[in-house]
Amino acid sequence: MKSATDNYERREQMIAALLWYGTWLASAVIGVGMILGTYDIVKAGVALFICLPIARVALMLAIFLRERDYAYVAISALVLAIIGAGVLAGL
Amino acid sequence: MELSTIFWLFAAAFCASALGGVLGMASGIFIVPMLTLLFGVDIRVAIGASLVSVIACSCGSAAPFLKGRLTNIRLAVVLETATTLGALTGVLFIGIASTSFLYGLFAVILAISAQQMLARRREMIDATAPNVKSWATVLRLHSSVPDSVIGKDVPYQVGRVPLGLALMYGAGLISALLGIGSGVLKIPAMDTALRLPIKVSSATSNFMIGVTAAASAAAYFVRGDIDIDIAGPVALGSVIGALVGARALMGLPADKLRIFFVVVLVLLAVQMLLSALGINILGGLA
Repeated sequence: MKSATDNYERREQMIAALLWYGTWLASAVIGVGMILGTYDIVKAGVALFICLPIARVALMLAIFLRERDYAYVAISALVLAIIGAGVLAGL
Repeated sequence: MELSTIFWLFAAAFCASALGGVLGMASGIFIVPMLTLLFGVDIRVAIGASLVSVIACSCGSAAPFLKGRLTNIRLAVVLETATTLGALTGVLFIGIASTSFLYGLFAVILAISAQQMLARRREMIDATAPNVKSWATVLRLHSSVPDSVIGKDVPYQVGRVPLGLALMYGAGLISALLGIGSGVLKIPAMDTALRLPIKVSSATSNFMIGVTAAASAAAYFVRGDIDIDIAGPVALGSVIGALVGARALMGLPADKLRIFFVVVLVLLAVQMLLSALGINILGGLA
């Protein structure tokens, strides 16, 4: 059981790190764009924010794949597919 | 866009987020009324900008919950299939929804939020043995949560998953249509259908909000429906407000703040309802 708990905590740490550093990166990009008054930099920051939760689902998919938890690989893939369908509908 | 407008957008989002953070509520529900009523922004533009700030706040606040092992990530990804599907429906539906309908729906959600803010949340923990054939058992969703008082993990079970999925679909739909996190619908779904401990349901709901909002925001972004000049400062103001402002304001009396928010939510509900009917009082001040 010990190893399962360690595994669980490491997985949580990875997701937490992605979201935490991603938030600061996207915020910094928007901030720089606002100070410079450059539309495209602000736009890149907004795009980073939108991609961040999607990257989080992709990271979870990779983690489940490494743990050979195929039911959850499929569920994560389904979430990504639904988001992808929305993007295609928007194009 | 004028520099002063950018500053005011940033400042308004910062304040809404900081005040909301004290009560542990997402500021998303204030962003759209703020943009439409104070800044005279078109409601569809306001919805797109608000979604970006909802994502920012969800991602920015997720780390402590994850490290505290309060977020049930398996449950989150299962429910996200329903919230993103709801969001997808909203993305397809918003094109044919009239502006009056959006204002009217927003008024209803504001009224429900006000009512929820007054009501106390109840915990309904199921102590019986897990049903071996339930969805939650098959999907291995039951987990445990650390309890700092007794210093060990307390196991909990996850209740009716199909009902939870149905409610989450609705929450995703409302999120895409109104640009809010729909925590207002997710939390009761998690408390009453799934019967989670309150800390777990708050953490898991917050975790899912980002993906739900990203599903619709990504579609609006590629459509060119997100106004970057508005979304940028609002998202930055919200995330800084949530992370820095809320901590600075922790000393404020929560009970008085709660009453203040209920009054604000009711006033906004009335104004949004009037907007649905084509009457705008506050807009004259901006």
